[in-house]
Amino acid sequence: MDTGSRRPEDRLALIELFDRDGRARRTLDVHAWPVTLGRALDNTWVLDDPHVAPHHATLALDAAGQPVVQAGDSRNGLQIGQRRLQAGEQAALPAAGALLQIGGQRLRLRLAGAPVAPEWPLAEPPVGGLALWVMLAAWVAVQVLHRWVQLDPGADLVQWLPWLLGLPSGLALWCGLWALGSKLFRHGFEFSSHAGIALAWLLAYEVLNLLLPNTAAALGWPWLWQAYHQWGLPLLGMLVVRSHLRQLLPQRGLAINTSLALVLLAGVVVTLAINQRQLGRVFSEAYMSTLPPPALRWGGSTTLPALGEALLPLRDVLLQRAREAAAEDADSGEGAP
Amino acid sequence: MLAPGTSAGTAVSGTGQRIYADMQSRLLQVRTLLKTQDSQSSVGSAFLVTPEGHLITNYHVVSSFALAPQRHRLVYATVDGQQGALELLAFDVLHDLALLKPVDPAPLRGRGAVPFRPEGSEPDRGARIYSLGNPLDVGFAVTEGAYNGLAERHFLPTLFFGGSLSAGMSGGPALDAQGRLVGVNVAARRDGEQVSFLVPAALAQALLARGRNAAPITQPVHAEIERQLLAHQAALVDSFTAQPWRAAGHPRYRIPVPMETFSRCWGSGTPAATRGLVFERSDCTMDSAVFIDERLRTGTIAVRHETYDGSKLGALRFQQRYSESFGNEVVGQRDAHRVAARCTERTVLAGGGLPLRAVVCLQAYKKLPQLFDLSVLTASLDSSSMGVQGRLDAQALSFDNAQRLARHYLEGFGWTPAAVAPKTASR
Repeated sequence: MDTGSRRPEDRLALIELFDRDGRARRTLDVHAWPVTLGRALDNTWVLDDPHVAPHHATLALDAAGQPVVQAGDSRNGLQIGQRRLQAGEQAALPAAGALLQIGGQRLRLRLAGAPVAPEWPLAEPPVGGLALWVMLAAWVAVQVLHRWVQLDPGADLVQWLPWLLGLPSGLALWCGLWALGSKLFRHGFEFSSHAGIALAWLLAYEVLNLLLPNTAAALGWPWLWQAYHQWGLPLLGMLVVRSHLRQLLPQRGLAINTSLALVLLAGVVVTLAINQRQLGRVFSEAYMSTLPPPALRWGGSTTLPALGEALLPLRDVLLQRAREAAAEDADSGEGAP
Repeated sequence: MLAPGTSAGTAVSGTGQRIYADMQSRLLQVRTLLKTQDSQSSVGSAFLVTPEGHLITNYHVVSSFALAPQRHRLVYATVDGQQGALELLAFDVLHDLALLKPVDPAPLRGRGAVPFRPEGSEPDRGARIYSLGNPLDVGFAVTEGAYNGLAERHFLPTLFFGGSLSAGMSGGPALDAQGRLVGVNVAARRDGEQVSFLVPAALAQALLARGRNAAPITQPVHAEIERQLLAHQAALVDSFTAQPWRAAGHPRYRIPVPMETFSRCWGSGTPAATRGLVFERSDCTMDSAVFIDERLRTGTIAVRHETYDGSKLGALRFQQRYSESFGNEVVGQRDAHRVAARCTERTVLAGGGLPLRAVVCLQAYKKLPQLFDLSVLTASLDSSSMGVQGRLDAQALSFDNAQRLARHYLEGFGWTPAAVAPKTASR
């Protein structure tokens, strides 16, 4: 697109035509105004797109020397940022440049002298090399320990097989699917990056899963146990998906955070509503089922009469709920004692 | 209750023929119909107990009407095809009896009444008795069987009838050879042959005395059911707590196991050669519950425990299995009659300072506001290689009795005398 013998760095402006990934596919150095865009061959830049008019748009400088765009004889018009121009309309362009949509083509106009955005750092894999192998080894060790605890002493080796085969395959499949996503959006099969993310969160889950229920049991804090049981796994699940998505679409951080937070919030609210309605309580589980070993029994104890006293508030809550439920049944015409 | 099932035929003797011939005019079928349509929601048998036409049947035959009289109506049909409307005068939900009267007594007048056997004169064990009714709505019938006295381990007095009862015979009379009332057909066990139950005649006589002049019931009877259940739970909890706990025979733990006075305990366990967790289980349940409606039987106490020996496992593996076992209990789910349970949980010190995790759950009835179901779950926390987990369930208790029973149960746990000295040794 060079015109005559003028040097490239003398360009007045640069117009970039984006591909579907938002990268410049073609560029045009502008050395003179106006610049016409359209499907006809007498345009400065010919856009080969059936949704583009023969003479679709003209870029020029106005009397004050500011860049303006004018829509030509076009049925679809054109779009500058959020603004739409109909045929014949004209609009001033910001001095910093503008994004234009002409037919199905996305273009960016950059003007000489406009500020240039700072350089972005290259995306580093979250963990790599040795650290990844250490994490993998740690995770495998934890899983082996889990299985060892679950199997009786002297268990047949066959009983290890589902875990030995299933867990690594599951992890590989999970990371592979995310890596395929990377291939789609970022043109790189970033398996090890996603493996690092998955392993980091799996290890975090193991640590929390060991610490929180046992701490709750040791201290006699059912609320901590209940909160972890109810919200721990969904929250960790959301965080791991968030990390994978941000690796996939680093420029969409806000959208990812917002949508995942909304999904989590909706899940929590729906569960709360269902539990309140069906069980009359916040948590799904009726009681804390983790029992502390004798060495970790730090929570102290209460007396039998005190336990009996603790039933009084339950009675009042239950009576209230029973009254409400009976009234609801009466409304809906149900009859049961 | 007499659910539809097999009816093993029994040859009827000449006495049976005579009794049927004498009594058939006093025998009726009772149907509970939906008011809006003529389809029946339940069907049973009944018999005349006064010349004015008072009828006795089972409460469970007329329970739909008792709980929702605005939606149901009661009708009778005699052997000779007479039909008419009935009204409910009184009922005894605990012993499953109801007293009815025809709206128009004329068609039933002059048929006489089934005489009661004089109180205190029990038939001999093994004596032939004759049960009448309309099994499975097939037609009026008589079945013969043996009188076997009171059924054992029943908190509410129930006669054991060695004959066949089928659905539809509920509420029919069981008569001795002289045609006098011994009991009222009520239930049969489906897991055995000819194991059936009768309500003793004296209870029917008491209901008649109490209710023969009562005004007909036109409103739901929840308040009366609640009153009767309150009396039942008071008596049940009093006699339950008055009994000492039985020893479970564990070397380390004192575990509350009820006497087999009105409950039956079944035991099971892992084979001794098990490589993993070794456990023994005992399950004590009462045979008979109080029928309220098809979806609610209540008024029983059940006690269960499991002892665990993890000495072959090591602490980590034991802890995992021990917690998992404590976690797989289901407590008080919401149903048509009750709201979901609410629990409180604490670590308590039982007898001798045995640390126990105790979860006490209560469940309330929507329409019986003075009654609660109680569940107590326990797990001993003293050892990293053995333990005992227990569970008590009791239905339809007053709040005070729920508190009392929970405490009585938890106090039943402790160390055995032999374990008191070396109790820290196995930590």
